[in-house]
Amino acid sequence: MGWRTGMQAVGALVRRAANELLRVPGAAIPGVLAPTIFFLGLTSVFGELANLPDFGGEYQNWLIAVSLLQGAGFTGAATGVNLARDIEQGWFDRLLVSPAPRPVILAGLVLSAALRSLIPAAFLLAVGFAIGVNWPGLGGLVIALFLVMGMGTIAACWGTVLALRYRSQSAAPLMQAGMLLLVLTTTAYAPLDILTGWLHTVARYNPVTQILEAARQGFVGGVTWGDTWPGLLALAGLLALLSALALRGMRRTAV
Amino acid sequence: MGGCGAGARRVTGRFQPRSILPAVPAIEAKGLERTFEGGIHAVAGVDLEVADGEIYAFLGPNGAGKTTCVRMLTTLLRPTAGSAQVAGFDVVADPGSVRRAIGVALQEAALDPLMTGRELIRLQATLHGLGRQAGQEKADALLERVDLVEAADRQVGTYSGGMRRRLDLASALVHEPRVLFLDEPTTGLDPVSRRTIWEEVEQLNGEGTTVFLTTQYLEEADKLANRVGIIDFGRIVAEDTPGRLKAQIGHPHLEVKLLDGGLERAEEIVRRFGNPLPSKDGAVLVELPGGASEVAPVVRALDEAGLTVEALDLVEPSLDDVFVEKTGHHLEPDEPDTGEIE
Amino acid sequence: MTVKDLRVVAALGARSVKQTFRRPQLFAPIIVFPSILLAIQTAGAGRAIDLEGFPPVDSFLDFMLAGAMIQSTMLAGNSGGIALAVDIEMGFTDRLLAAPISRFAMVLGRLAGTAALSALAAVWFIAVGLIFGAHIQEGVPGALLMIFFVVLSGVAFGGVGAAVALRTGRASVVQGLFPLVFVILFLSSAFFPDNLMLEPAATVAEYNPLSFIVEAIRDPVISSISWDVFWKAIGSLALVGGLSIWWSALALRRRLRTGG
Repeated sequence: MGWRTGMQAVGALVRRAANELLRVPGAAIPGVLAPTIFFLGLTSVFGELANLPDFGGEYQNWLIAVSLLQGAGFTGAATGVNLARDIEQGWFDRLLVSPAPRPVILAGLVLSAALRSLIPAAFLLAVGFAIGVNWPGLGGLVIALFLVMGMGTIAACWGTVLALRYRSQSAAPLMQAGMLLLVLTTTAYAPLDILTGWLHTVARYNPVTQILEAARQGFVGGVTWGDTWPGLLALAGLLALLSALALRGMRRTAV
Repeated sequence: MGGCGAGARRVTGRFQPRSILPAVPAIEAKGLERTFEGGIHAVAGVDLEVADGEIYAFLGPNGAGKTTCVRMLTTLLRPTAGSAQVAGFDVVADPGSVRRAIGVALQEAALDPLMTGRELIRLQATLHGLGRQAGQEKADALLERVDLVEAADRQVGTYSGGMRRRLDLASALVHEPRVLFLDEPTTGLDPVSRRTIWEEVEQLNGEGTTVFLTTQYLEEADKLANRVGIIDFGRIVAEDTPGRLKAQIGHPHLEVKLLDGGLERAEEIVRRFGNPLPSKDGAVLVELPGGASEVAPVVRALDEAGLTVEALDLVEPSLDDVFVEKTGHHLEPDEPDTGEIE
Repeated sequence: MTVKDLRVVAALGARSVKQTFRRPQLFAPIIVFPSILLAIQTAGAGRAIDLEGFPPVDSFLDFMLAGAMIQSTMLAGNSGGIALAVDIEMGFTDRLLAAPISRFAMVLGRLAGTAALSALAAVWFIAVGLIFGAHIQEGVPGALLMIFFVVLSGVAFGGVGAAVALRTGRASVVQGLFPLVFVILFLSSAFFPDNLMLEPAATVAEYNPLSFIVEAIRDPVISSISWDVFWKAIGSLALVGGLSIWWSALALRRRLRTGG
């Protein structure tokens, strides 16, 4: 398959994923609303944490990047659930017996997740700015959204790995829990110095902490290259690992 | 206890009520109707009577109203007009008594994929008031009966279609119902599984259970039922034994193909045995009201006249012919291949 | 209610519990997710106990335990509703309705299952809490009281899930309530003292019946049992439970009348 045909195949798969959204819009609403609900809820509930000595700033500025990444995580996990459904119903077999190479099929699946991640992100940002979240500057916003798309891709790869492994929608909680753990075992709730016990240790070494800090920087202060490149590196690393696992899973499936 | 009807026995395949007392029908419906929201008349006035110990089949295409009728008779749906009694109890006024007397195996084989076969039957036993010990024994016996002993402790989600149907049937028998309702019991099954279900139904009927089944398969109705009700657009358009229904629209006919011509001579000869029909594709056609028993004399006569028979075929009128006659359209474009050698 | 009815409810309840353990999508929200969130929130926001106005506690875990338990119970109610809707979608409820059992036994069985799951979850969280250093001030009677309130909550919130399932007959609709559960939790004192929450959430939390229920579960852990808190919780449970069970009964009646 030439690169042009490959791109067309990817485009067709992305369009199919978009169809699901457009034809059953009600199904997407919980996924779009959930990150915003969590953002508003957690801000209201834990907002006073920002008054702790080592904190500083308003809690909503601290938290918004977490919710952005959480939204991307939900969207990616949903991609995995949809793939599991397609496998259960036999639709995925159609893709596998087509001449499309495995990387093309994977690209089609995860690219749609990357684009779809922007929907809950857009909604969240609109609500966030409405309640007074800092404007991150154009640079900060672009970096944040880029990282959101990256996170969506990572989550979709994770969901794909599990879908191919278990071939059943019953793996959905595993997909969601995995993403929940990844995003929340970071400096999600508070700066590293305020985190206690095991979470302090895990957050220090969790690559998603770097992604989160890079996405957050515009909302809590200025944007610097020094705060950006670790996040990009972490993103690239996770993407390389999970897409390799997903491709391996796909190559093992069918003849 | 109401509804004590006469027993019945099957004698040489023909149903005969035993008692001389007037028996309470196992199922009786008068003017049964069901209209859904939007003015959809799913059942537009059904009258029927099924005698105790009978096998009655509702034959009709998808959307004819078969399932809706079954749901009303099994108290799952309230009729919008008319009345029905099952085992002598009114489905609207006394649904509890109806439920105690019936067993139901519905169209979608409503089984929980996460339960094991044994768990399902035990649950059904509990729902029908059987104690723990009795439920256990019943489960063992029924699983043995439907040949699911080995799969009994596996989750139903791992069962094949045929196994699910057998389990569904077994769970409908937990309380030894007087009347068994089977809604399309063999739809989607392979020929072997279909045959197994048929055998089981015949055995149950032999033990005295009245069976009301719905089907879209001609052969199933033909083979199993004492009487068939043809339903289309929510009404019964014909009702009788399969034989009499087919006889209403014609007799079997013999098609004879000869090896060396002699068509005209053959037509003269067959005229002696029955009503000749227009020849078709070089074959001589003659009606034989007596069916297969009248074939041999025809062949002998042709042989004596020096005519060699290359091929012959006794064509029976089918229930589909009856269906076309009564409704103007075929029942179903494709019939399942049962693999039976005629 | 006859002995037979009770046996039927128990059998359907047992089936509910088995179903939940056999289907990860139903089990995960009851134990896995609340446990993860408890661990993360305790470690992440643990320094909150240093804030002025925070109730006197030994650790944030002592405070959060009740929140995790109520979260688990509400999600158990949602899971129960999803399972009931799946039963409706696949026709399993027809099997129950064609049997000679009381119509409402279908709902009661589901609620019994949710109550049992809530009890199991309560024991789990108490055990986990004790292992990780929580201290229940009121000891064993306190723990029993916590389990009591969690079980009653399970019935009350289970009724909501059942009502939505019966009304809509669609698992995807019941599943869509998932975010709503968190909205109600956030607008209560489940995760943080309402006097330290931001407005307008703080005011809503002050009057939210869920706050009264959570505080009754929390009281035995961080202080002593107060009758005032106890009766407010009972009242809230009676309100929520009464409304939800009434709504379930209506939805069931409607379903039986229209046939689906």
